[in-house]
Amino acid sequence: MSFSRRDILRASIAGAFAAGASTLPTRLLAANNTAKIGMNIPMTGDYAPWGLPGLYGCQIVADDINAAGGVKIGGDSYNIELVAYDHGYDTEKAVQGYKKLVLQDKVKMVMMLGGSTVASVLPWAERRKMLTTTLLPSDITPDSDYLIATCESHPLYNVTGVEYLAEKFPQAKTAAIVTNNDAEYGLQSAATYKAAFEVAGIDVIDVNLHGFDITDFAPIVSSVLAKKPDIFCMATSFYVTPLMEQLFHQGYQGKIISCTLDYYDEIIAKTSREFVDGTIFQFPDFDDPMLNQPGVNFPNPGDFDAKFRKAHPNDWSAVSWEYPAILLNWIEGAKAAGSVEPTAVLKALKSAKNPEFVFGEGRWWGSQLWGKDNAVVGRWPVVVVEGGKARIKEYRSVSGWLDKHKDVLIKHMKELGLRTV
Amino acid sequence: MELVLLSIINGLIQGGFFALFAVGLVLIFGVMGVVNFAHGELVMVGAYTIWLVHAQNGLGYIPTLILAILLVTIIGLLMERFLFRPTRNDPLAGLICSIGVLFVLQVAATLVGGEGPSKQVPPPFHGTLVLFDFLRIPYQRLFGLGISALALVALWYFLTRTRFGWALRAVALDRDAAALQGININQISMIAIGVGAALAGLAGGLMAPLTNINPHMGHNVIITAFIVTIVGGVGSLSGAVYAAIIYALFHTFVTVYFGGTVATICGLILMVVVLIVRPAGIMGVRVSE
Repeated sequence: MSFSRRDILRASIAGAFAAGASTLPTRLLAANNTAKIGMNIPMTGDYAPWGLPGLYGCQIVADDINAAGGVKIGGDSYNIELVAYDHGYDTEKAVQGYKKLVLQDKVKMVMMLGGSTVASVLPWAERRKMLTTTLLPSDITPDSDYLIATCESHPLYNVTGVEYLAEKFPQAKTAAIVTNNDAEYGLQSAATYKAAFEVAGIDVIDVNLHGFDITDFAPIVSSVLAKKPDIFCMATSFYVTPLMEQLFHQGYQGKIISCTLDYYDEIIAKTSREFVDGTIFQFPDFDDPMLNQPGVNFPNPGDFDAKFRKAHPNDWSAVSWEYPAILLNWIEGAKAAGSVEPTAVLKALKSAKNPEFVFGEGRWWGSQLWGKDNAVVGRWPVVVVEGGKARIKEYRSVSGWLDKHKDVLIKHMKELGLRTV
Repeated sequence: MELVLLSIINGLIQGGFFALFAVGLVLIFGVMGVVNFAHGELVMVGAYTIWLVHAQNGLGYIPTLILAILLVTIIGLLMERFLFRPTRNDPLAGLICSIGVLFVLQVAATLVGGEGPSKQVPPPFHGTLVLFDFLRIPYQRLFGLGISALALVALWYFLTRTRFGWALRAVALDRDAAALQGININQISMIAIGVGAALAGLAGGLMAPLTNINPHMGHNVIITAFIVTIVGGVGSLSGAVYAAIIYALFHTFVTVYFGGTVATICGLILMVVVLIVRPAGIMGVRVSE
């Protein structure tokens, strides 16, 4: 067999292309479409721990999806591209960022933290019919058709921790709640805890509210401990570390329950493992074996946890997996709709009677509290620190609790001046 | 009774921190006539230094505390030389410059420490002192109280027993008269901002293991410093120390018996009442026109 110079040249070019192509990213080979997802979140300032880790988590999920060839939606393959805007929890910047994401970047969904920043974009978002997500279902109003909460039902899940505590520690009969005095996070959470304690037969002997200007928590803790509560409850997470530190130094020996316990390894470093052990909260690490059980809708949670902690060793927080879980919800909705367009995806998501969310099957809820069934509620994990490590003890039903006790919750929300329908 | 005693101790500890940064603010204002809005950020830089050098890189706490004081002092000296001195005759320009420094330091802290959660520093002094079976005071807080008291005594000695201290007080009283006496205003301004910044760095370093550290923590510091300065009497160093202790005790007791939200409101009401009843503050001198 003889080869001409032209054959050799042709073969060389083909070989070089094949060798080069094998090293190209999968997404270039597939020549996919791109679905842009916006994140209008705080990445700097006091609220950054509830924004930035979510972006990191979403990037891990998006990279995995894209490396696997993208996602099939309506017969086309799509890569996921994240476009983030840092509003620093400033409402004016939130509006700017939202419009930039929608008009300039042409995103198909905007993920947000919640609170005043969501309220500021809501009228415009509704007019544009742009699908928007929040972690605070209390942002939902009777008119907010395009605002949904498909992952976190802050602070409704707190009822599961109180139920667990009351069942496992029946001798604990009095509780004191400490929280920020803001209506978006602190008071919502305080009302939920008050309702949950009332239902559990636990007497709330103190609700200690403070502002964001506190630099020393010693007086607050000594004031609360003087009332000798069996349970010390922290309803929001901004100051969990200094509060836990003061509890430790002031010799508190009762039960501790908290909405979140972000960066609990730092709390252990400031106190002791023995002191932090037994603390009940609501947000698991994702290397938890209980997340591998059937019903959990998050692919390879342990792998996700490991990748996150390797890339961002000190940044894991409650939202690290929540925004990715919302992104995964959106992908399922888009697949079902056969389209990435916001209205179609929303319709597909809302058409599911029992929508799947991160911890299993849920249901659309909210009209009795906020005027629209746009929040997914289902079961939620109760997490306890054991041996210095957060571990899910069991799942409990938020929706079941709401079915039985929503009137108690509404009563406490009204008492604290919070909006209900 | 237990709660009262504990509150007094907590109030004194807070008062020590308040005094450190308020005295620095008063010193800079008194000598240079500049309202240093970046003073809270100088405290923040002190705290960040402890986080970065001690907590992240393992240098001992005490050497890092000294490093924090030196670093913040250098920042203060640079501010005086390149911002406040050229704008000395225009108090508004100095104020605007200090606001610029505020933003620069906040962004620098974000660049150094990254975005995201507040930084935490494990306490270098573990353990709790227990007195009479009911008074529990962490050693870290006791250390803060002791060092604050020592620093304030050292400042008092410097201001009342040394030639530079006398010169500094003379400039604070009347800059032109002091200059006519041959006092070098530039040199005294450098000393004033150096001492003020050093105290801010010390306050930040002492507070670092006890609080959330983030680029915006100076905001709360400067508000407290202004309240203390106004209550004590603008320009009065002894007034700032007294006011810091009074305000801290007041804030602590209101927090304990009425809650943190009420304490914040009452703190501001206290300032307003002092302004109405005694406009020059507790120790301030009213100057007739």
